[in-house]
Formats: sequence, structure tokens, C-alpha cells
Amino acid sequence: MEAIKRSFIRFRRTPAFTGCILFLAVLVLDLIIQGPSQFFSAKSLNTLFSKNMPLMLVAMAQSLLLISGTLDISIGIQLALVNVVSIMTMQVWHVPMIVGFLMGMLASLIASALCGFAISVLRLPAMLASYALLIIIKGVNVLIMPKPQGNVPQEYYRTYDLLIGGVIPFSALFLLAVILLWLYLKRTKFGRNIYAVGGNPRNAFAAGIDPVRVQMQAFLVKGFIVGLAGICLTLMTASGNPLQAEDYGIRSLSACIIGGLGFGGWGTMGCAVFGGGFLVLIQNTVYYTFTLLNRLMPALKITSYWQNLVSDCIIFLGLLMTIVTAKAQRETLKQGFVKQFKRGERIDK
Amino acid sequence: MFEMRGIEKRFDAVVALKGASLHVEPGEMRALLGSNGSGKSTMVKVLAGLVKPNAGEILIDGKPVLIRSGDDSRRLGIATAFQDLSLVPTMTVRDNIMLGNEPRGVLGMVDDRKSQKEVLSLLERFHIDCDPDAFVQTLMPSAQSMLEVAKAVRLKPRLLLLDEVTASLHRDEIDVLFSVLRELKAEGTAIIYVTHRMNEIFEICDTATVMRSGETVAEVSTSETTLDTIVYHMTSQQPDAKVPCGQEEFDPGDRELVLDVQNLAMFPKVKDISMRAYKGEIVGICGLEGQGQPEVIHALLGVTQPDGGQIFFQGKQTHYKFPADAVNNDIGFISGERNVEAMFPMLTVEENIFAGKAAKGPLFAYIGDKAVHAFAQKAVDTYNIKAGGLRQPASSLSGGNQQKLVVARWIAMQPAMLLLDDPTKGVDIHSRREIQKILKQCAEAGMTVILNSSESEELLEIADRVYVFYEGRVSGILSGAAKTPERLAAAMMGMTREACGPKEAE
Amino acid sequence: MTNKANQMTAGQRVRAFVQASPARMTFIIALVLLCATFLYQPESFKPTTFSSIILLTLLLSFASAGQTIVLIGGGMDFTVGAVMSSSAILTAYVMNSQNGRFLLVFVLAMAMGAGIGLLNGFCSVKIGLPPMIVTMAISNVVTRLQYVFTQGSPSGYASPDFIHSVIDRIFGFLPKLALYALILWPLIYFLLNKSRFGKQVYLTGNNPVAAQLNGVRVNRVRILTYVFSGMFSAFAGMLGTAYMSTARCQIFDNYAFDSLIAVIVGGTAFTGGVGSYTGSIAGALLMTVLSNALTMFALSQPVRNIVQGVVMVLLLIIYNRSKAVRQ
Repeated sequence: MEAIKRSFIRFRRTPAFTGCILFLAVLVLDLIIQGPSQFFSAKSLNTLFSKNMPLMLVAMAQSLLLISGTLDISIGIQLALVNVVSIMTMQVWHVPMIVGFLMGMLASLIASALCGFAISVLRLPAMLASYALLIIIKGVNVLIMPKPQGNVPQEYYRTYDLLIGGVIPFSALFLLAVILLWLYLKRTKFGRNIYAVGGNPRNAFAAGIDPVRVQMQAFLVKGFIVGLAGICLTLMTASGNPLQAEDYGIRSLSACIIGGLGFGGWGTMGCAVFGGGFLVLIQNTVYYTFTLLNRLMPALKITSYWQNLVSDCIIFLGLLMTIVTAKAQRETLKQGFVKQFKRGERIDK
Repeated sequence: MFEMRGIEKRFDAVVALKGASLHVEPGEMRALLGSNGSGKSTMVKVLAGLVKPNAGEILIDGKPVLIRSGDDSRRLGIATAFQDLSLVPTMTVRDNIMLGNEPRGVLGMVDDRKSQKEVLSLLERFHIDCDPDAFVQTLMPSAQSMLEVAKAVRLKPRLLLLDEVTASLHRDEIDVLFSVLRELKAEGTAIIYVTHRMNEIFEICDTATVMRSGETVAEVSTSETTLDTIVYHMTSQQPDAKVPCGQEEFDPGDRELVLDVQNLAMFPKVKDISMRAYKGEIVGICGLEGQGQPEVIHALLGVTQPDGGQIFFQGKQTHYKFPADAVNNDIGFISGERNVEAMFPMLTVEENIFAGKAAKGPLFAYIGDKAVHAFAQKAVDTYNIKAGGLRQPASSLSGGNQQKLVVARWIAMQPAMLLLDDPTKGVDIHSRREIQKILKQCAEAGMTVILNSSESEELLEIADRVYVFYEGRVSGILSGAAKTPERLAAAMMGMTREACGPKEAE
Repeated sequence: MTNKANQMTAGQRVRAFVQASPARMTFIIALVLLCATFLYQPESFKPTTFSSIILLTLLLSFASAGQTIVLIGGGMDFTVGAVMSSSAILTAYVMNSQNGRFLLVFVLAMAMGAGIGLLNGFCSVKIGLPPMIVTMAISNVVTRLQYVFTQGSPSGYASPDFIHSVIDRIFGFLPKLALYALILWPLIYFLLNKSRFGKQVYLTGNNPVAAQLNGVRVNRVRILTYVFSGMFSAFAGMLGTAYMSTARCQIFDNYAFDSLIAVIVGGTAFTGGVGSYTGSIAGALLMTVLSNALTMFALSQPVRNIVQGVVMVLLLIIYNRSKAVRQ
């Protein structure tokens, strides 16, 4: 009993706590609106996972960068890069899909390495440099694939939409894989190093860590996860599109912040999972709410334009959540100080 | 055997070290002492790999080595506990202690169980009462300081560098620390101990190296020297501890009380400061670095809000939320950290001079080029600022002229009170004299001047009264005949604590 | 020592000249590029080319007005394009081909611009997020609002009087839009160079810590820069509607990025504190001429994207590097 209480207190202090609460709140809301039978139906659960897996993975990749003190807003368009490289490799060189995916993964790693080079080695500001990269990759994508085209062999996308054992969505395996990867990395030296570099680069340096090397490593791991996400996207859409997922950059940032990540040294990948889950579920909730409203009051004529507006407003508000997380951090800091001050007055020195 | 020879370092225009040396043997605990601007912190940073010296060499056991990074420093067997803490606040206690040197486990993962054992034994050794999973930022500053030392000790270094680690420790914690240090000494660790607390030197150190103005001026054995001698080496004054410390002892005559600070407290540097300033006075504040002087100036300016105590300016209590409030109430601020706090490097000289006027007044008022130019020209002429041309970028001015520019900016606004935070730091002697002359003229014209300076001689010359700060409290108030360098040195080193320290339990 | 100073190499002389006035440099490059395009395609040397270049330059310079102020103050406004587009839709809708509604539209557009600017400023300053992210997110929301408002199909046209006041040509090639410049350019010049507000903007951008300690209300100044930016962008959107005679959703979105580059190329740093509106005008000319040249070389959109991105990276490398950890 004591152990449970202690682990709960420990969980309450982790950065992922607020994200978890928000996620659970939205889950409840969604269940109310959609109805548990509909929500938990195999088909709807599967769609929920398979359609949103790329975004979840991207948020998790972004969280790595945020922890190590940078960010990459071109992460969205990199998904499209993996997508078009995979499809075009298959189409032009007539190689099996697996090879296409490998090439896509390679493209993602190269893009991340370039981004990392610009930000960590050249020390260009992360926001602006990654925005410039976004524009460049947009152009590259269209050069590789001028018009949306291509298709994925049936076996592949059928597998993606599959329900293993009738219960587990196949796409959830991707999520599991990345979570396992994080659980491993978290326990390595690299895992400790990214927190140090993001929390205070100067102190990390004093402790013998090379901030540039660690950030480059973070970029490469992020590139790997983005590669997986791109493969996911390709399987989901079963085709190629050079200009998609561009807004995943901002969305992933918003997801991470909602989940409780800070801009350096604070947060875990769990934050990204909860934050991403929050965004996914709230979009779901909004959709079903509007469907409901449309049924009850057809005169209102709520179109998808309204949905998109609400969606983007939520993303914007999610970004504003950073004041909450920053404040939470400051509050805990203040507590420590006040305790000392009080003690100092007793034991006068 | 660790040795540093002929170390030189300049940061842009400021010379931090000019041919300093330091050596320490295994099993020896050597104090590294120095007043403001001595360079002792820079020496520590060089050994820790954070600063690259311009010249000089470092030898370990007679062989020259290169320390290019924190990693190199660690590999050579040097561990450092920093004054401003090298802990990462957003990581746990355990992660911080093991940082950079985690024990390897299975598949490249860190061996958490081994870490936990090490951390627990370390926490016990240092009597730190905290949960290894606590985030460092939630701990009290004294616990954080102990952790900083524990982290360094864990590396089992050959040379342990401790930079002002006892600043926030309580007596019982210092006792624990010293007993650990004695154990380490017995095991053959060389220790360099930077401090400004004189009693600690005699309590635990074997030898002491004294630095002044970037050079090593003395190396003594603590058993063969006295406190007065050490203070003499640090300040070139023989200290006189007969220092008055009561406010009541000063008779202001019929001068108006402009500033009244009562029991100001700001965590953690300022514990209890009371001071007064009368119209037309130059009140000086001084002390060793980090005793709370800039914090008090910031509180007067409205940059930070005090945790306790009150400030009365011109009879009314101040509740400033930003400096703009203070500026609108006729308070001016001149900073010594020109680049960070006062200069606008890419703007022209005349824009820089005009900055004070630009901050105050109706927002969309028309300000023509001629007005700016005339104002700037007048300032340049009055204060003898050597500038190539008023339209040149301000960064082209020398340090001394930049400082004169900042002074001119504010004096032209005719504030009722002028706050100066170490304005002559890094300024050439000629410009310094001119600034001192200007301040004297201002005081004669009725301005109240509060001057914080790290140059104690300067204060003795131009201040009417001097408050000496030590560990967040006033350790002496010097005025009139008592304003001697010997008394100043004693008060700065805290030698007046018996007379002027906090009253024992009420 | 003095001898060395006199014997500046040719390279150093050029560097000194450029740094003395980046605006001049940009202007010269623009003219050179323009001449190059005329040499490449001599048939383009006619009044219509000139008038279109002048018109687009003017429009971009109006859009960049707000961006200049924001950038000098140390921020960044990504909503310029979205505000322009929204203003365009508003203009077309309210005017609806009727003369005499200019004042009404003006007031509405200014209110909208100021409102969005206030939101931009407040979030950038008080929340603690990088201004780029905040303004990007807000720009998305504003764009969605356009779609909701118009349900995807905007309606209305700018009034004939208004259209004529913008695109009619004087002396055969100068669009009447230039007359608007006679009002706008001095206004911006006053704001930036001759008002206390402008001085405070430069101080804030140059060294926000020093500005704060010197009594400048840094937060208030920054928020005001965003408000002005919103208003100038809204007005630019109105004028743009007259040029295009109608509006569609996201019609002027490219101005977000274009205004940013125009201002930076004109001599304002990414970090703020330096720059001038004259530079931005020169930058606008350069961007317009460059765009014209790229069209002439029939470079496809993706290649143009790559060029834009690379230009931005180069500008970042030249202008904007942080300090290393070890000194």
C-alpha cells in the first residue's frame, strides 16, 4: 500500500502528470459524446490508431529534440519526404517496397543530419533554420514527385489496417516500438546526456559532455523515428503526396507542450504521447460533437471549415499551455527557497 | 603535484590574469584568496576547462598538459565544485551526481542499482537529507551546495577544486564538509579551497595563495601567518577592526533624508540591510563580490521586489514594479556592465546619449534629428567624451568614453537620485577621474548619489559615507575620520562581525 | 598602426561600404539584376514591365512596413500574409463593387489588424514562446477564420473608384498606388525615426535588458510594434484587393515570408536593433526584381522554394550565430 502511494506521489511530480490528466479528461469527454460502444468498437478504435499514428510518432520525435534544447519545425514536411522517396524509388527503380522504405528512412536521416548540422554545429537559431529547411524540403519533394501519384502494394496497406487477434491495431505496433526504444534510450548515457544538454549546456560541458555531439545524436534518433512515421504515413495513405503533413510541425510542438514538455531539459516522451493523444482525441470529440449538432440542429449547417477552425484554435491554445508548465516549474522552485529562508531565521548564522 | 605557471587571460578588453601561478601537492589543502578582480575564479575555470588561457602552462607531476574541455579536466583527475553550481536543476539528484560518469550496465544502459548504492552512500557521507529521485531545483540552496561538492568528490579526483562552496551552508553542514575534506587530505587528495571567510582558512587549510589584480602576490603557510598579514596581501592595507556600525552615530545636520532603506531582505544574498542617504551626499557601498551590493541597487531601481523590509524614497514608500517606475520618479541608473546593461552597441553615439530622454515622456512625440544632435553635442562637450563623430556606432568608443557617455545620459536628465553599479570597472584611470569629478559636481548641485564600487580606494576618496557589506549585512559604516582604508579592509573581510554582526537570539 | 588603417584592401573597402548602408547596396544589386533581365529578354523593356514591378514593389513595401517595425524591436510577425488575405476578403465583401465605402472598410480593416496585432503582441511577450511559433499558430487560426467566414467562396469586388485609385497609371507607367506611398512612407518614417516610440523600438531591439533598466517599458513597446504591424498589413491587404480587384482565401499568404526576407535583405538583422525602412523598400525592390527574373528563367515553383530556403540559410549564417559554450 505504501509502495503504491509512494509511486503515485512520484508520478505526480513528473512532467507527464498534467498531460496525463488532460488526456484522461478528453478521453472521458470523447466517450460521453461518442458513446462507449461506438468508441470501443474494433473498427473505430483501429481507425483512430491508424489514421493518427504518424502524428503521434512525429510528436514523440519532436519531444527528443525539445528535451535536448532545440526543435525542428520542418519535421512535418520530412514525413512527406519519406513518403515520396519511398514511392518514387519503388516506381522508378522497380524495387520491392522494403527497399523503398529503406531509402525513405535514409532520406529522413540525411534531412535530420543537415538540420542538426545547421543548428548544433553552425549554431543557427533553431526556429529560423528549420523553417528555411522546411521550404527547401518542400521544393525537393515536388522535384522528386511533381504530382501526387503512386500506390502501395495491397498486402502492405491491408496489413496496416489489420487488427491483430481482432483486438490490437497493427499501427499500434509502431507506437509500441518507439516507446520501447525510448525506454531503452532513457536508461543509457545518451538519455541522461540529452537532459543535461537541454537543461544547462554549460554545466553539461563542465561535466565532460559534448553538447554538439549529443544534439547531433538526438537529431539522428529523431530522424529514425520520423522515418518510421513516414513509413506509417505511406502505408496509411497507400499513395504519395509531396505536399502533405506540413502542419505536423506546429501540431507536434503543441502536442508536446500540452503534454508538459518544456523547451529544454524538462519532460519525457510520455508527455508527447499524452499530448499527442490529447490532440487526437479532442479532434475526434470535435468531429463527433459537430456531427451530433448537425443531426440535432440541421439549420446550423456546421461545415468542415468550422471543424478546422476549432482544431487550429485548440492547437494554438495548446501552445499557450506553456505558461502553465513554466509556472509549475517555478512554483516547485519557489517552495525550496521559502523553506530555506525560514530555516535560516531559526538557525542564525 | 599540480602547478600553474604564468597564466594570462584577457576577456575582450579586461585583463583577468597576468602571469598568475599556483601549485599544490597531494595531501595539501591550499586556500586561494583574493579580493575583487583578483582573478581567482578565472584560475579555477582554467583548471576546470571552461576558459582557455592566452598564455602560460599547466603541469601535472612535472609534465605539461592541455585542458581544453570539462572532459579533459576530469580525465586528468581534476574535479570542480563551482560557486554558481554546475548542477542541472531539472534533473534528479541521482542523475546529477552520476552525470558524465555513469556506471555501465547491460546493453549500454546505465546500471541504476549501482548508481543508487553509490548515491545513497554519498548522501550519507555528506549528511544530505533528500530523496535521490528529487529534482535538484526543489532542494534548498545549502543542500544543493553540498550536492555540488559530493558530485565532485565522487569522481575520486587527485585535485579537488572548491570555489566558494560554503557561502550558503549552515554551521553543522560546514562541520560535515570539513570532516570529509580532512579524510580526503589524509588519502592524498590535493585540495584548492577558494573562500572569503577568513576563519575557515585557519581552521582547515595548510597553506594559502593570495592573488591581487590578476597576479599571485603571496604564498604562505597558515600556521606561520596572521589574519592581518593575509588581509594585507589581499588589499595592501593593514586592517583596523575598530569600525563603527550604527546609523545613529552620524549627524546629518539639516539635510533632507532622501532615501531610507529599512531592513531590506532579498533571498538569498541580502539578509538585513539598512541604510540612509541625505540630499547632496555621495553614499558608497562596497564589499567583496557577491555580498549583496548589486541586489540592493536593483531593489532600489525596481528591477526586483524585496522579500522583506521597506524602501522610502523622498518620504514615500516605493512599490516599483519595473525600472520605468523608478525612472519616472526621477531616479537614474548607471551600470558598470556596460555591454549588458547600458550600451546599445549598434546605435550611434548620439542615440545612446539620448536614450534616457527617449525613455521618458509622451510616446508619440516628435523628436527631430536636430534635437537629438544638439543634446548629444552638449553632453559630449560638457563631459569631454572623445568620440570620432556623433553618428559613429557607439561600440567604436573606448571603455572609458562609453562609461562617460552613460553618465552623461543620466546626468542630463537631472534625476533626484542617481544609482551607480560599479561604474568604473574596467575603465582607464583618466576617464575614471573625470567621472568622479562629475559625480562630485552633481552631489554639490543637490543630487543624491548611491555608488556601488569594487574599487574601495575610489570610494574612500569621493564618498561622504561608506557602507560595507559582508554576507548580506552591513559590517561597517565609515564616515568622517573613521573613513580609513584600514578600517575598510577589516570591514570587507568580515573582521568586524563580533562588533557589528547580527545580535544573538532575541 | 595608423598606416595599416589607411591601407585598406579593396575587399575591406567594399565591406565598409556595404556596412555603411545596406540599403544602398541592396538597391544597387536590384538595379543590376533588373538590367540583367532586360539584357536577357530585351522585349520586356516596356512600360508595362516597369509599372508592374513598381506596383508589386510598392505593395511589398507596404506589407513590409509592419514587419520592419516588429523586426527592429526584436520580434517577428508571421501573420503578415494571413492579415493581408483576411483584409482582402473583408474589403471585397464590404465594398461589393459599391463606391463610397472606403472609409468604412478602412475602419474595419484597421480594427481587425490592430486586434490581431494585439493578440500577436500579447502572446509573444507575455507567454514566453518564440514569436515565430506564436505568430505562425495565430496565422493558421486567422486563415481558418477566412474559410469559415466565406465558406470557401469569397464574394464581392473592390469598388471601381478604389481600383482606379490604385492601378491607373500616371505618365504612362507609374501606377497611382505610388500616391498612397506619399502618405504611407512618411508616416512610417515618422514612426520609426522621428517619434519617441521609434527610438524606444530601436533601444528595445538593440539591448532589451539595457532598455528596461533605462526606463523603457519594453513589453508595451513590443506589443505596440505588433499592433502597428497588424494595421499596416491590413491596409496593404486593402490595396492588394484593388490590384487583384477581388479576393480569395489565402490570396496574399506568400507575403509573410516575402516581407521577412525583404526586410532582412534590406539591412535589418534577425535579432533586431538595426535597420531602416528605406532598407526594406530596397529589399522589396530586390525581391520583386528577383521574382521577376526567376519567372523569366522559367524556374518552377519547387526550384524557387529551394532558392528561397537556401537564401534564408545564407542570411542566417551571415547575420545570426549564437555564442559557443567555451570561451
